[in-house]
Amino acid sequence: MPRVKPASQLSEAQFAVLVDGLADDPGRRDLLTELLHENHPVYAECGAAAVVRMRGWILVALARAGVPDGALIFLLEELDAGVDPYLVAAAARALRSYPRPTETFAAFVMRALSNIRYRDEPVSFEAYGEYAMSAAGTSPVQELLETLAWLGPLARGVLPELMLLRAQCGAGSRKLRVDIDRAIRAISAADQAISSGTLACCGAPPDSLPNTVAWTASSRRDAGPIGKVVLEDHDGNRITFEEFFKGKPAIVVFFYTRCDNPMKCSLTVAKLAHVQGLLDAQGLGERIQTAAITYDPAFDLPERLRIYGQDRGVRLDARHRMLRALDNDALRRHFELGVNFIESLVNRHRIEVYILDSEARIAVSFERIHWDEREVVTRAIELLEEREPGAGQGQPRSCCSSSVAAGPAG
Amino acid sequence: MAPTRKAAKRSKQARKKSPKKSAKKSSSKRSVKAESPKVAARRAASTATDSKGTVKARVAAAALSPLAVCESDKDLQAMLKTLRNQDEPVKVRLAALQAMQAASFSVVAFESSRGDYIATLRAIADDPDPELRQRVLGILAREKDGYAQKKLIEGLKDPKKALVPPEKALQLLSYDVHADAYSAARDIVKKPPDEMARREALRLLAADATAAPMFEKLLRDKKELREVRQIAASALQALKPEKMQQHAREILLDKSDYDDIKATSLTALTQFGDQEAIGKDKALLKSVDRLSAGKASAKYRQSASRFLGKYSQ
Repeated sequence: MPRVKPASQLSEAQFAVLVDGLADDPGRRDLLTELLHENHPVYAECGAAAVVRMRGWILVALARAGVPDGALIFLLEELDAGVDPYLVAAAARALRSYPRPTETFAAFVMRALSNIRYRDEPVSFEAYGEYAMSAAGTSPVQELLETLAWLGPLARGVLPELMLLRAQCGAGSRKLRVDIDRAIRAISAADQAISSGTLACCGAPPDSLPNTVAWTASSRRDAGPIGKVVLEDHDGNRITFEEFFKGKPAIVVFFYTRCDNPMKCSLTVAKLAHVQGLLDAQGLGERIQTAAITYDPAFDLPERLRIYGQDRGVRLDARHRMLRALDNDALRRHFELGVNFIESLVNRHRIEVYILDSEARIAVSFERIHWDEREVVTRAIELLEEREPGAGQGQPRSCCSSSVAAGPAG
Repeated sequence: MAPTRKAAKRSKQARKKSPKKSAKKSSSKRSVKAESPKVAARRAASTATDSKGTVKARVAAAALSPLAVCESDKDLQAMLKTLRNQDEPVKVRLAALQAMQAASFSVVAFESSRGDYIATLRAIADDPDPELRQRVLGILAREKDGYAQKKLIEGLKDPKKALVPPEKALQLLSYDVHADAYSAARDIVKKPPDEMARREALRLLAADATAAPMFEKLLRDKKELREVRQIAASALQALKPEKMQQHAREILLDKSDYDDIKATSLTALTQFGDQEAIGKDKALLKSVDRLSAGKASAKYRQSASRFLGKYSQ
């Protein structure tokens, strides 16, 4: 249960005071991480811009107070797929207060730099909800370059990319070149430190980040009441959750057609098409199902679903469907979806992919960080094999974080 | 044809007679050839930002300066200073804004100028000049800028704070479905300052999934303005197509409704109707057939014949 009052009881100004208070109180600082969950009631019925301001302020508070392990995944998520300048800048700044930097971070920072460089704009962290009216302050690109400089030797892996960025700078980009040069110098100087053996080690990051979670067969939750929820597909055909998902393992992604972040829903559905290709290549297109379910069923009517899927190369047939739930709340509760709404419109969501077993139970989830299509297919095949006697049923499987260990995928 | 000896001699003599003139000519040719687009653009930027120049010359020069803005930080800053300066003639500031906007289309070259540009636009979003203000807010709104959206919504909620007329604010907010403008738009529909604002509010709400019942009501209200009913029809088709199909049928069977509303209903059914159901709907087919042969407008008759062509076979 959330330990912070929902938004209906908090104005934005009160929210800002609350966040500042939590950041200043070491005993309650962990509540800041709790507030970063998209489905926290504090974001219910807030506009998308308000959600940006609220989440951004939490990241700014974390930058001040220090980032605990539990909050790290939220920063990396923002760097991996964020396109809002304020949030990306705040995440980059907050990352610098994480006590145990690793080489993996550099790939996330570099990816954020490629995503945001043509959307760079001044941002202000001076006061809650403040918009920068001059370019004298900071910006996401500046924050990201400063974070690369902070990573120093740990960013060696992205040095060639950074050099390329430097070479691409236009003639009028003096300020940008200065910032890039500073980062390059910091990385290279530290390089020398490494070769002379004078650099101190930075410590290890947490062993696993909760971006991928797997459940053993015995610990999976039954489909329960969700089984009777009616889904409508891209052709307007209706089918219950149970009817569609029971009998074969399935790969399920969530999205909505009005998502304006190309790194999230559009990419997720395009990647689902790739997953289908991988399944077909192994002759598994009929044995493992796929589904893309919308967060926004009120707007995403069958025709919109079909066009959205087709435009991204998704194969659509009886085993592979674009779906909307007629009871969206039941679906939210069952999957504990990382999404929130203002009325029926999504105001913020995470990236989330699930693999269901042949009993329609959630077996694996991939959250926040970009998922790797091959890994998802491999996990789904494991579930196919699970049905065969002695093929691992009931064997414990712990959480893993392969995507984070390898840096951003996709 | 090869020049004759006489002609060559005459030409040689002429060159001897006026060496300066011909040298000047050839040097001017060289300078025209030598001046690169970058140099020309920088010269234009310099003219455009020179407050001693005439308005006409500065406006003309600004149009040639976008390249300079991308290439030179000095020219960028000078252009932004002109844009910000309320003492400059508005025509020059508008030309500077246009030059900046043109430069911003070169996304890659403009990369490092974007921050200064956006900050300047925010700073002048409440400029005393209404045209400049509206254009600046338009650019920011297309960028889905949070600051501009906040200002526009504030203006809708409190007219004293309005930077642009309400219909314009609604139009600009409609660029972003996540702009959180539905609540303000609903208030305007309930209590519109004028008809234009009401229509824009309805257009904006055409993407609001919860607004379908309101559009159903507007569509069926014959006392309502026809343009409003047209907006309601297209909104309903987008939000609840099955409801639109149902109402379209009823409108077509209603002898007292207006031709243009019937034409819209016919189009909805022709484009999106259920082929099998409509093909069997004798009452509907008969009604459209009868009306198409009557005194209806040419537009309606055309829509009717398309409908009958599709369903009456």
